[in-house]
Formats: sequence, structure tokens, C-alpha cells
Amino acid sequence: MRSIQTSYTFPLSSVKPLEGLLRYRMYCLEETRRTLSVSRRRRERSPVGGARLEPFDYVDGFEYLRCPETGNVFLAELADSKNWACLLSAASGYRHSPKAFHSEIIKERNENVYLPKLEWIQNTLRLQGLKKPLLMAVVTPPNEFSYVLERSDAFAEVLTVDEMKLVEEDRDKEKLDPRANQVNGGKKGAVEAAVLPESLDRVDDPLALLRGVRSYLKDDGLIFVTGLVCSGFDFTVLGRNNLYLYPPDRTNCFSLTGLTELLNQSGFVPLEISTPGVLDVEIVLAHLGHDPAIPLSSFERRLLAANPETRAAFQAFLQERGLSSFARIVARKQT
Amino acid sequence: MNCLIFGYGYMGKIRYEVLHKHRDVRSVKIIDPGIDPSTAGLDGVLLPANAEISWDQFDATFVCTPNNVTSDLCIEGLRHCGRVFCEKPPGRNWEEFCRIAEAAATVGDHTLVFGFNHRLHPSIQAMKALLGDGGLGEVLYVKGTYGKSGGVQYRENWRNDREMSGGGILLDQGIHMLDVFQFLVGPLEVVNAVLSDGFWGCGVEDNAFVLLRSESGVPVFLHSSATLWKHTFRLEVGCRDGYLVATGFLSQTGSYGREQLVIGKRQFEDEALALGNPREEIIHFDRDESWDKEVNEFIASIKERRPPAHGTLEDARRVMQIVRDIYALAEPLDKLGRN
Repeated sequence: MRSIQTSYTFPLSSVKPLEGLLRYRMYCLEETRRTLSVSRRRRERSPVGGARLEPFDYVDGFEYLRCPETGNVFLAELADSKNWACLLSAASGYRHSPKAFHSEIIKERNENVYLPKLEWIQNTLRLQGLKKPLLMAVVTPPNEFSYVLERSDAFAEVLTVDEMKLVEEDRDKEKLDPRANQVNGGKKGAVEAAVLPESLDRVDDPLALLRGVRSYLKDDGLIFVTGLVCSGFDFTVLGRNNLYLYPPDRTNCFSLTGLTELLNQSGFVPLEISTPGVLDVEIVLAHLGHDPAIPLSSFERRLLAANPETRAAFQAFLQERGLSSFARIVARKQT
Repeated sequence: MNCLIFGYGYMGKIRYEVLHKHRDVRSVKIIDPGIDPSTAGLDGVLLPANAEISWDQFDATFVCTPNNVTSDLCIEGLRHCGRVFCEKPPGRNWEEFCRIAEAAATVGDHTLVFGFNHRLHPSIQAMKALLGDGGLGEVLYVKGTYGKSGGVQYRENWRNDREMSGGGILLDQGIHMLDVFQFLVGPLEVVNAVLSDGFWGCGVEDNAFVLLRSESGVPVFLHSSATLWKHTFRLEVGCRDGYLVATGFLSQTGSYGREQLVIGKRQFEDEALALGNPREEIIHFDRDESWDKEVNEFIASIKERRPPAHGTLEDARRVMQIVRDIYALAEPLDKLGRN
């Protein structure tokens, strides 16, 4: 097992500025409300281990529940799969439009978010002895990162697959005829690596998504998972006040342990579990700037008031010890 | 497969544990005249020290003894069962290594592997994958420091008795780093070496400073020491497009610290921002599978009737040539005296 720490630094404003996020967040909340007015179902049990979920808190009127066993946090109410897929598609489309902050800072996001992710994938493939693999990008199109992957010459082919279609395909697999293997270009059992950039955070059934991905992977195939984890610093400190917690992007907010368990349950063996986030402290600082009355302990306020070197050292500690809110996992399909 | 282990010291115990859980190993027996036959957990495992060995009962032999009997047992194992896994060093000196090599040449269809597990450590494997086409480009230099503090029993340890060991810290620990160097940049030749026995005074080197060069001209430097009061493993590789620094080493005691690999990229293009302090990634490793990997490979090569992938006679030859040349080149310790 390995974990990765990084000295890459970049400001919050270059990847997900709070001001820009508020506009996008408002759109997501509105769209989720609209979707739930059409179709609504409630999760009482954890979609991973089946434990009965406990109350966590409300975020702008949306109820979140918590798994007492893993600490995972889940949005309580979802739409049916078809409507959920439409919601994710709408959010993705908005992210891609000139209205969202994403398109305003596309160059910075490319440099600080997508290229480091690509490099991580390439380095891992080298370490695992995989050259130019067939890669599956599991996203809701349109997705900027899948374009970065497609433009890279690191892969023999990049197969971009709609994450909700994989979920539905897994649910419906018993209904499908034998030609099911023809879906997605007949690549079942042929994909050497799959990347899930925050996909598990969004879909209505993360276990079904992983089962679906697994069915496309070769034996010993790899998956690359990124996501925000609720066991990390900014999430733990801010809780329900964390403005980065909103549906549908944060429908499932796993703890690092919960995410690892989810992968184990789905037939994957983790090779790398890292939290190389660089923004935890800055995110809390930005929230404090946005709302000075935000509840923080005296230690937290002291930390935020400390000099940049102290804050950087603390962020490095969070990375090294698996305590940042941004998680990266590499896992191998267990055969 | 039925295995026989000679020696149940530090390495013998490690090999026993690995073999004991290996799916292709049916039985493991141990011979060690220094072990009390009533030792817990060894019922039916420990053979009488003076018993004649029924070689036809064994498919493979593991030589985990002090260096003074390594070559004899290795040769005996080769002649009687043809499959030998021998701990480093492959003999006390070049002559003993040559005896092993000559014996191997007379045994057809043999398998002979030497225990150089360091190259199988995760940080070293990751290093190897990132060199050259792996992203960091051609290697410019290599620098390794490997050392320990000795400890209160250091002078009494057979490893520091020239008659039993054949050499000091270079032959005990430094040899691993020499193997790792050659794993990374290929065969090396010795340019210069300075040995000293400044603290322990055992008559074998407690510090070795060795300058080497690869066939393509890459300069390589080793500091092997028994006076590093803080246990240290540090390997730096400078490349055209970046650098790698492996530090710490997963070991049973954990005394070398957390094994990690720093990956840095050259950033001339952005020097105003980087100021000679480029962005780095640090990989932390928490699982050492090197012991399993080398035994797995030994057993797999026997089963599949193919040459082993590492720890080969050629790997051993290259490293023993370097050791031979260092001892020949460095000023004899008895002439230097103690500081």
C-alpha cells in the first residue's frame, strides 16, 4: 500500500473560488429541488453496508444522513435513476457553460486539477507496468477531464462512459439480453484501467457503479478514484456549514475508511490511499471570510490566523496522515 | 516442495516464515547447531545438528548462515539438490564466490539465487519505473548512504570478525546498495575508495566511501557506515528531467523510518516561481513484500524451469567484483590505524 503527499500548491481561487462556487451551487440546489419535485425516494439505509442511517444535518433544506459505522454522509432523498441521470447531466452541462466559474478559469483548472490527475494516473500505470492501456473515463458528459484524457497520448484509447448508464446497466443486467456486451463498444472485460473523477460522490448507487465498472475491467485491471471525503479537515471543521457540500455533486460523501470499505466490498484491493489535498486550510479560511460568525474552536481560529508557513506545515501534515478532504485511491480488481 | 534451511538466525527466521506460508511448500526443515532443539515452535522442524542430511528428501536449500560457511554449504546444496537460495554476500570474498560459480557450472539444470532483496523494496521498484522513459529521463548521478549505529554488541557480532565475515559494513550492508545501484544504472566500475575503522576498531571497515562509474559514465557514490548513530537509508538519483530521493526503509524494527520516495521535476521554465525548490510528490510505502517476492520468484523459476529474474549468479558476480576491487584499491586498514 502506498500514499502520496504533494508540495504542489495553488490558491483556492484558481480551482474552485468560493464566490464562483456560490453561483454554481445555487443552480445545483435549484435543479435538485426541481428534480425531486418530479421523483422522490428516500434512503433509510447505507447504500454500502446496509446500516440504518442516522440524522446528520440539513443543508439548504436538503436532509443528509450519516452512517454510524463508517461516518459516510448521504443525501437522504433521491430521484429515480432516470431523473437523477438528467440532473447530473444538467449540472455537467452548466459546468461547461459560460455561466459557471469553471469556464472562467479553465486554464488554471487544467494546470492545477486535470494535469496533476493525469500525471498521477500515468505514474501509477508506469509503476504497475501498464503501457498505453485502454482507459475508461466514468463521468457524466460533458466532462473536461475526459477531454484531457482523450487528448493525452498516454492511452491506447479512452472510452468515455456515462456513469449513470453504468449504474442502470448494472441494475438491469438480469433483464438484458446476451448482446449486452455490445454496449459501450463491446469492451466488457477488456478495459485495463478506469478513472472515476468524483463519480462516486454523485451517482445514486455507488455500489452499482463500481459493479458496473468492474464488469468492464480485465482481471487485475485498475481503477482510479477521486472524491471529497467527510473525514477530512475542512469537512470535519465546517460540517453542515461547508458550502462545498451540496447535491447533486455531493450526494454521497464518504469517509476515507468508508470509501476504502466500499472498494473492498466491490471486489477491489486498494494499492494507494492518499489525501493529497492542498486546500483544506484555505477552504476554512475562505468560509471564515465569507461568514466571520461561523462556529470554529479557538484552536481552529488560532491555526487560521497563523503565518503561511504554519498553515502550509499543517496542510502537509493533513496530507501525510490521510486527513485532508480530497482523496485519491488506486485499486486493483480482485479476481 | 520440501525445503531445508541452513541457519536459523535473523535471515533464517525470515525465510522460514515466508516458506511456511508458501502454497507450493510442503515442508520446511532447519539445521542450526546453535539452536536449542527444545525451542518452542520448532518441534519436528529442527534436524539434529550432527545428522546426515538425506538430500533426496529436499527439493531446495536455503543458506542463511554466517559468511564463513556460506560457500561450502552453497556448493553442497548445488551438488546434492541443485536448487539453492543463498543469502548475501555470495561468499566472504571473490575467491569463494568463484568457487560457488564453478560448482554451479558443473551442475546442469540448477537454480541458484542470491538474496538481494533491497532492489525489490517498493521505493526502489518505483524509482526504477520512473527513470528514463518512465518520465525523468537519463540518469545524471546516483548517491547512496546506508548505515547503522552498530550497538553495544557490535564488536562481538560475527559480522565484524574478519575471519567469519570476510569484511565489514561494506560487505554486510553496503553490498545491498551496490546491487541497487547496478539495478538502476547497470554495471559499475570502481574509481576510488576510502575505508576506515575509526570507531569500532574491529579490524574491518566501519565506514566505506566509494566512487564508482557506470558503463555510460554515470557517476555513483556510496557511503556505507556502521557509525551512523541515526539509522539511515537514503538514495538520490538525479536525472535530466527531475530527481528521485528514496529515504527510510521498511524493516522489521522500523528503525530506518517510514519508506518514502520523493519525486521532483526540473522546473527551469518556471524558475522565477520555483527558485530552485520545485514541486515534489512524496510516495509513502507501508508494505514490504520484498521477502515474499524473492522467494516466490525462486520457487516460480524452479517450477517453470526458467532462469530467475533477479538475484542471479551474474548479479552476484557484478557486485562481488566491485567489492573485490574496492578492497584491492583502498589503503589497508591496518596501515591507517584508528583515529
